[in-house]
Amino acid sequence: MTDLARRTLLGAAAVLAAPALARAQRAGTVTAAIYPGAWEEAFREHVAPPLKRQSNIELEMQGVFAVDQIAKFAASRGAPPFDVFVLDPGPRITGLDRGMYEKFDPSRLTNRAALPNFLVDEWGVGCAAQVVGIAYNPKKVPKPAGYADLLKDPWVSRLGITGFGTTFGTVSLIELAKVFGGSETNIEPALAELKKVLPRIAAVGAPAAMPGLFQQGQCDVMYTNTQTVTTLKDRGVDIEFAVPSTGATAFFTTLHIAKGSDKIDNAYKYIDTVVSRQVQDALQKAPYNFVPVNKEVPLGAGLPMKSLDEMSRFVTHDWAKINPLRGAWIERFNREMAK
Amino acid sequence: MRSAWGLAAPLGLAYAAFFVAPLLMLFVVSFYADEGMTRFGTEQWQRFLFDAFHWKVIGDTLLLGVKTMLATILLGLPLALVYREASPFWQRVLLFIVVMPLLTSVVVRTFAWIVILGREGVVNQLVLGLGLAAEPLRLLQTELGLVISLTQIEMPLLLLPVLSVMARIDPNLIDASASLGAGRWRTLVRVILPLAAPGIAAGCVLVFASSTTAFISQSVIGGGRLVYLPAMIWQQTMVAAHWPFAATAAIALLVSVSAVIAVIAYAGRIAAGRVEMPAHG
Repeated sequence: MTDLARRTLLGAAAVLAAPALARAQRAGTVTAAIYPGAWEEAFREHVAPPLKRQSNIELEMQGVFAVDQIAKFAASRGAPPFDVFVLDPGPRITGLDRGMYEKFDPSRLTNRAALPNFLVDEWGVGCAAQVVGIAYNPKKVPKPAGYADLLKDPWVSRLGITGFGTTFGTVSLIELAKVFGGSETNIEPALAELKKVLPRIAAVGAPAAMPGLFQQGQCDVMYTNTQTVTTLKDRGVDIEFAVPSTGATAFFTTLHIAKGSDKIDNAYKYIDTVVSRQVQDALQKAPYNFVPVNKEVPLGAGLPMKSLDEMSRFVTHDWAKINPLRGAWIERFNREMAK
Repeated sequence: MRSAWGLAAPLGLAYAAFFVAPLLMLFVVSFYADEGMTRFGTEQWQRFLFDAFHWKVIGDTLLLGVKTMLATILLGLPLALVYREASPFWQRVLLFIVVMPLLTSVVVRTFAWIVILGREGVVNQLVLGLGLAAEPLRLLQTELGLVISLTQIEMPLLLLPVLSVMARIDPNLIDASASLGAGRWRTLVRVILPLAAPGIAAGCVLVFASSTTAFISQSVIGGGRLVYLPAMIWQQTMVAAHWPFAATAAIALLVSVSAVIAVIAYAGRIAAGRVEMPAHG
């Protein structure tokens, strides 16, 4: 009975996804889920043209956030609404647990040798990296040594924070918790320490609002990724990236072939194009400022590493442990920070 | 009559398919007991209702709507009175100015308010420049700042219905009031306002509904320390992927906002009734 009701709901959702299905049937195409906004623009400009030129494959993009991709796939019951997922680590684990990916054969990528081993597995491949640390305005505050400094003078009164809503926010709060005795599964120390200084914190913002708040001088120090720092710097904002004493955090956005896709060959060609030297080099440049995953691409000056292999030493997190706790953390953050 | 129903059928069917049906689905989803939606139960409702924090969030959300509504009335009604007495040319100019903000995306209007209210924003530069305060004022990420910006953002929604009823008030009634010895204030309170009441009530409903659900403005200008229902629903849906709880919160928003709207509409009818009774008597 319950299952029936659930199927009805999912079936209704599948009806809404039908136009996408119709599109995916044409030959010489591949339908890729892509994050709306900057990712969509970047892929339209730098991925679609070479894919068409080199493999005569038309790239159809669906602007869908990571969690939505999981939901849409679940609703489509075996007829995937797109051929390739693009996911952050949290949703990646969810998809893996629910068996949403085809087995991935890295040897089918012509660019396989240019990718670091830690970015490739039997389920997919990393297509962009994020390096998370502390951003500060060097004209307003001294360089902070690490996460503990954020809660001290002179930084705390200029600090902008954001909650567990994004991957970079979640990993930063975990790192803050670790400094005060917490762990990947215990963020309470971070909330307790933040609460002590809460009235003095300059801004508690929505993740998307943080760059704007920094640019407007509402806050002068925040945890964020190198991509945001480079983008703001390009716009003339006084901003520098500081690697915390406990290390920069790294995580990867990955591509996966959707289970049941009938465009597997095209999907491989699409993925191969995304991780190619030429595309990764173009994506690293302004205004997109992606952190590349191809070892042949020279790394930009704003990045805190000389080569991609160094990234294997960066702090990483186990999202299989984080995922089940994150919903409750989001709520805890709301409650503790609420006025 | 039959043909009128037939003409309304396309929109009616579209509403049934794309509004009523999803609403029913939302209601059903809220009665799933668990995150994976595998069995039914009232767990999510218990979790929502037996928690003082959620009631505070509902209260804050409704209060934000009421404050915005009062601020728009306070600032908007005088403009409406000016509009009523203006020449047709100036009426067109005023109407254009009132409608203009609607031509800009709400996202743009919201981000513009960051520039105005920020620590280094226009207001603070003025206040510090005039020596009115030693430290920059905290306006962004406060309820005051949010109400100020929502007042501007929602103002057209109040003014459009109010201006349209104001324009329809028979000038003879005002002259009659004056010739019967009523002063300007008495005429305003006893004649103009009751006649404008349906428009004011309609405007209030729009402002209230729009400001309580103004997700972008609430999260961008209000910031993470002011928790309102729309942001909570978004987080539960998009980030935590907990649909049953998000559905519960969404229905709570729908019900609480509708309840206040019903009260506003009822108050509008009472206010409008005051002038009719002596006329009939």
